[in-house]
Amino acid sequence: MRAMKSKFMRTSRSMPGLNLASMPDLIFTVLFFFMLVTHMRDDNLKVHYEVPAGTEVQKMEQKTAVINLYISPEGLQIDNQLIAPSGIVPYINEVRKGLSVENQDRLIVSIKADKKTPMGVIGDVKQELQKAYALKVNYSGTEESPSSTNVN
Amino acid sequence: MFGRRHREPVPELNTSSTADISFMLLIFFLVTSSMETDKGIMRQIPPMPDEKQQPMDIKKEHVMTVKLDAHDQLSLDGTLLTPKQLTEQLIQRIEQDRTEHVVSIETHRATTYEAYFKTQNAVVRAYASLRNQRARQLCGKPYAKCSPDEREDIDHYYPQRISEALPKEEGGQP
Repeated sequence: MRAMKSKFMRTSRSMPGLNLASMPDLIFTVLFFFMLVTHMRDDNLKVHYEVPAGTEVQKMEQKTAVINLYISPEGLQIDNQLIAPSGIVPYINEVRKGLSVENQDRLIVSIKADKKTPMGVIGDVKQELQKAYALKVNYSGTEESPSSTNVN
Repeated sequence: MFGRRHREPVPELNTSSTADISFMLLIFFLVTSSMETDKGIMRQIPPMPDEKQQPMDIKKEHVMTVKLDAHDQLSLDGTLLTPKQLTEQLIQRIEQDRTEHVVSIETHRATTYEAYFKTQNAVVRAYASLRNQRARQLCGKPYAKCSPDEREDIDHYYPQRISEALPKEEGGQP
């Protein structure tokens, strides 16, 4: 009886409050959306690079078992650390140890090389990858619409 | 009955801070994640050459030599051309020599990566165009819309036969 009375009194005195009960649900929906469409930014870039553009680039579906290899004229960075070409094989072997058996076969090395890198460097890196038996590579590039393909 | 329910009300959980908590989570995810997706040209590089392995005999007429020199000049069997022309030439020649052809890509150590990437792009484009054409004949759809089985058939019909040599030291000044 008292509860009824006080409730009645309050509504008569002030504006009814906005019902915020669904607010957390809304924000959770936005949160889940972001969790699904984004992925963690895990590499601190220590080298600068600008990838080339091409018309035939495809989205990389695979998100796990990917090693990022950044190549710029200044040096090499693998995932999160600067590395010498000779360090590629031990690093890949190390990463491979931590993967499940099926992921070991699916391992992709995504090469993000600067446009102006000479092919000599790329060739050396590829030879190291051969030694490490990491044979799936992805030459990272940005998409370019076919019509705007500049000749040469 | 009615009265008793009002006499002993179940206290409600105060959920007003759930919104704040989820906002904090949301902001955390916004800050630590990135939208960009990785795009690129997928390639399989050959395994280390086995010393016992016999070099494969490939007849010269089947080989198309795509060469990039130290100045990023692209040539196919000795004639200079642009990546666009390369795609057209390759389409023609692969069509004539579907199963036996070999596209050999040669680079120089001083060739820039961009030129190499553009060349790879042109080669992939030639194959994609041929496979699309075949897909239209076979299942009336572009290659990307065909079923995995059909795609396998098409891949078998137009196999990618690309050979890459290590970048060369000699030939042309850097």
